[in-house]
Amino acid sequence: MEHSRKNFLKNFLIGATSVPLILEACKKDTVTETTTTTTTTGTTTTTGSCTVTPTETGGPFPTITPSSLVRSDIRLDRTGVAFTINITIKNKNNGCAALSGALIDIWHCDKDGYYSEYGGTSMQTVDYTAVHFLRGRQTTDANGLVTFTSIFPGWYQSRATHIHIHIYNSAGTSLLISQISFPEGSTSAVALVNASTANGYTKGMTGYTYNASDDVFKDDTTGAQTGTVTGSVSAGYALAITLYVAA
Amino acid sequence: MPKRAIRLCYRKIIDTSSQKTWDKYVFESTYAEFLLQVQFYNQEKKYNSFAEVLLNIPAAEKLHFLVSAAVTGYLQQLGSRIPDITDNLGKHFLNFKNYRFEIINSHIKNKASHQVAINFISEPLIWHDTIGSYLLVSDAGSEKKEDGVITNLVQLQPFLSICSLKEETT
Repeated sequence: MEHSRKNFLKNFLIGATSVPLILEACKKDTVTETTTTTTTTGTTTTTGSCTVTPTETGGPFPTITPSSLVRSDIRLDRTGVAFTINITIKNKNNGCAALSGALIDIWHCDKDGYYSEYGGTSMQTVDYTAVHFLRGRQTTDANGLVTFTSIFPGWYQSRATHIHIHIYNSAGTSLLISQISFPEGSTSAVALVNASTANGYTKGMTGYTYNASDDVFKDDTTGAQTGTVTGSVSAGYALAITLYVAA
Repeated sequence: MPKRAIRLCYRKIIDTSSQKTWDKYVFESTYAEFLLQVQFYNQEKKYNSFAEVLLNIPAAEKLHFLVSAAVTGYLQQLGSRIPDITDNLGKHFLNFKNYRFEIINSHIKNKASHQVAINFISEPLIWHDTIGSYLLVSDAGSEKKEDGVITNLVQLQPFLSICSLKEETT
């Protein structure tokens, strides 16, 4: 017990003395000095160390770079039936005129029902191109329109097929967080795509949660959240929807 | 003697005291991204600090990943080299392909409390020996030449750690 207490105090002292020096070290490229004084059972030892200043040709030179989410083609490494998403934003506070300059974030799952994410202790690779798949951000044009190139989303347990959307004004203030649902029926894109094993969709519709049973969509009796989907499995599908915000 | 393959981890802290241009860009970009993304988890605008959001909305743990999208472009600019850490000749030498981004602290109304870390995980190195507080290492992938293998001396220092070890009997 006594031993562990000493160790605790020792560690605490090391932590307390080194942190301010580390902060200093981060400020500039100079010699970093770290001196730690440790007292253990009556003896005092002082260890000093310093590291060499980086001495190299200048560069690489940093440039301001937008978030990697800013892209129209959000497929990255994901495969599936081709899918174009057209979203138009209109402003309820301006006679339902098109809202230009709004930031639109969308995200949806891949054909197998998985989102890009990391959990627990996993790390990302610097294969930057694939990390944030099926997530994108665009700014609405003069017609209030944004377009994304993607793959037709699959589904996962207890949810109908859907696309998440977060709409911000041009200053980045959240205006609306919502989800877009899909038309259903035996000839619907959802039914045909999920039966398309040739395109890697393996789930079919067994166990699928339809909009009427979906916790998010079941109160949308007018279909205000449902996109219009046109196309075919071979040619790909396009979804169009108009959403109204108070901006 | 077993051959020891290690990975070094460098936890680079970026906050309001960071002075380098790259660090400042990362600070600005990650704060802007945080302000956007946190709104999803704070729809009732009840919380101001990242810690409060995390405490009350466990799903906000995902913000580490979501905000990391703001960093990827800057990581590309590093050209696979871990910044700041030099060998005893003063040269950057550690290569990385893996990293983990974390938000340490942030606050919707107080930019000054925004603090993030990028954990750089080096590619595998062979740890040959320890000389004082220096590790003698070489690239695990480098070819052994007739006159030996090219090595680097790197000093143990705060925020630099060995984060994986694989022993192989040779």
